[in-house]
Amino acid sequence: MSVYDELKAMVGEEAGPFPANDEVNKPMIRHWCEAMEDGNPLYSDEEYAKTTKYGGIIAPPQMAQAYCIPVLWPKQEAAPDPLAKAVGKMDEAGYFGVVATTTTQEYFKPMKLGDRLNFTLKLIKVSDEKTTRLGTGCFITAEYTYKNQNGEVVCKQPFTVMKFKPAGA
Amino acid sequence: MSYKSIKFSGINEGDELPVFNREITRTTIVATAIASRDFTPVHHDHDVAQKAGANDIFLNILSTGGFIGKFITDWSGPEGELKKMVINLGMTVFPGDTVMHTGKIAKKYTEANENLVDVEYALSVEMGPHAWGTATVALPA
Repeated sequence: MSVYDELKAMVGEEAGPFPANDEVNKPMIRHWCEAMEDGNPLYSDEEYAKTTKYGGIIAPPQMAQAYCIPVLWPKQEAAPDPLAKAVGKMDEAGYFGVVATTTTQEYFKPMKLGDRLNFTLKLIKVSDEKTTRLGTGCFITAEYTYKNQNGEVVCKQPFTVMKFKPAGA
Repeated sequence: MSYKSIKFSGINEGDELPVFNREITRTTIVATAIASRDFTPVHHDHDVAQKAGANDIFLNILSTGGFIGKFITDWSGPEGELKKMVINLGMTVFPGDTVMHTGKIAKKYTEANENLVDVEYALSVEMGPHAWGTATVALPA
């Protein structure tokens, strides 16, 4: 069985839900906006945000993942997830190169102050063998699904990486 | 305070968004990585980045999303609601680069009672496009 077949057999494997470390909160929103230079008043002007359909400040929708990145300390055993497993199998087979090629973010519900997210990660697609200018390998797509405390989907985020043997190596 | 937003009725397919340029420093790379809670060393540790084959620390992908959202809602105003972004990734963004943000309205349509606009955007550095794709935003009538 080729490594590609092994990976394809894993499609549909899902890990989680994993809880966010922090609830949606103003300081993290402000830090994000400061770094991104995003002046959208929905994220910062309470008086204005109260007059909108949201009834208050919301987080930038691109922030879902930021709430869910594992903490640096205290050290936690990395939870087994199908993307890491697939990448590991490719490493073992000698396909050491990795490059992120495409990601999509689709937003369904706003993130309001106090919301507590969780996420799952599912392996959704493995390509046949492909050769690009980088080398030969395959494209692996995993989808992050972020939900809030009410079980509503906030954001779906498929993410594709290419694992490859570098050309000429 | 009141803020202006673009109206669906006031825009047309083919319209271009105002070009926005951002100069990238090491501080930008580190501040955006940490604000997105991405502690992967290649976004703050020069030695690790070089060992990984890069010339310098480089912008993380969460921040690419942050930049695109800022670019779109700076244009639309706060009533423009981000629905979806497809992000194709190309060139890496390093300190010293200038990221040029460009966009054009590719499609204007109504779906499920929402007034939607697909913006074809690109964030480019001198070497070529860093990120490109379609961002969908709902606008007030």
